[in-house]
Amino acid sequence: SLVIRGEKDEQAVLCSKDKTYDMKIADTSNMLLFIPGCKTPEELNADQASCDIIHSQVAGFSNNYWELRRCRPKLKKLRKLLMEDPYEGPDSRKDQTLTFSKYTTEDLLSLIQASEEEILHQLHVIDACKIEGYWRVLEFDYEMKLLNHVTQLIDSESWSLSKVPLRTCLEELGSLEPREMIEHILLSYGRKYIDDGEVYFEMHEDKICRAIAQMLLQNAVKFNLSEFQEVWQQSVPEGMTARLDQLKGLALVDKTSRPETIFLLKVEDLPEDNQERFNSLFSIREKWTEVDITPYIQDLCAEKQTVGALLTKYARSSMQNGVKVYNSRRPIS
Amino acid sequence: LIRSEGAGGLAQWVLVELQGEVVPRQSGALAGSLLGDLHYTCEGVPVLIVGHHILYGKVVQLEKPFAVLVKQGAGEPGPAGPHTHYTVTALIKTKLLFKTRPKPIITNVPKKV
Repeated sequence: SLVIRGEKDEQAVLCSKDKTYDMKIADTSNMLLFIPGCKTPEELNADQASCDIIHSQVAGFSNNYWELRRCRPKLKKLRKLLMEDPYEGPDSRKDQTLTFSKYTTEDLLSLIQASEEEILHQLHVIDACKIEGYWRVLEFDYEMKLLNHVTQLIDSESWSLSKVPLRTCLEELGSLEPREMIEHILLSYGRKYIDDGEVYFEMHEDKICRAIAQMLLQNAVKFNLSEFQEVWQQSVPEGMTARLDQLKGLALVDKTSRPETIFLLKVEDLPEDNQERFNSLFSIREKWTEVDITPYIQDLCAEKQTVGALLTKYARSSMQNGVKVYNSRRPIS
Repeated sequence: LIRSEGAGGLAQWVLVELQGEVVPRQSGALAGSLLGDLHYTCEGVPVLIVGHHILYGKVVQLEKPFAVLVKQGAGEPGPAGPHTHYTVTALIKTKLLFKTRPKPIITNVPKKV
């Protein structure tokens, strides 16, 4: 079955179980009559027997119809809603009885313009978890606190990063944090598997390094690149390598400043609409190379659309010092 | 095209597209009235007789088929009421397009004087 979703100030979309479509009403000056069971010439030819009159009814008629076009699910609102009240841990001094900013799956289905599967998938992508029936995202500092407990334990136990035992984590850390939270952080930053009946996690090096970079970068407008890289490598767990390519869509390096600098720029903070996204990117930086801009427009690609196609449509290219760069098609104020 | 979970095929309907409007003969309602007769010639050309007019059309396979949706559970809007959704009850892949001018059927041609 299909559902139409959208609030009064939003453009309606039609959702199946797993896809989302933009809806437009199309008018025709012609009249469209729909006839159930009406036979086409081919069907009648096959049925040689009858020369009788078949009584058919016109089920209805219309001057307009809905035209659907598959579109990207509108999921930015999901993160926005869940960030209204991020979970700060059981010791948080926030008033836990205020529930108006909390959302169940049902709530999200009626507020988010996307299909159920797309919503559930996105909840998984943003590492949301269900606490007391409500979907929550962790407040970043709390998330880092949990991650830190785990990485310190890995270090003190000298475990391999690809074989972190769930049971021991729960035993050792269960007195510090709720068990569900310990398991949640392991699921968010690792891949769960079972070996010989025991549950283990293979930790995601890239994701952990990236989170630590975010923690460092969010405290200042920008950083000296080489200083940042040094501090960052010292901050990541033993055995992990911090690399700039882990920061795609999270931070941007300014190679034109002397010395080179790096600053936080999260793709999820940018507008969802294509034109607005490009306007925003070009107001941050006038000219972009394809390598630099790709992580910030990748999510705009429709089914079977490439980054190149997007750039052709929304940007203008030119050569700068032998390198192809992209800038806005129109002046940005 | 949106697939329905129903077992067996969906009903197949046909669309008839007419230029202009259909108006009831007397000022009655359209519902329950006879629209006309639909015939196919030996070559498969659809012919529609409406009142004393005859229209010739053609069978067109739709590039983008239509799905017929029926609204379900139209309760009070809001979180408390049942959520409205639509089920696909039929597909339309073919239309009979009548866009030529209707020709009046004259049965009595006066002889030349």
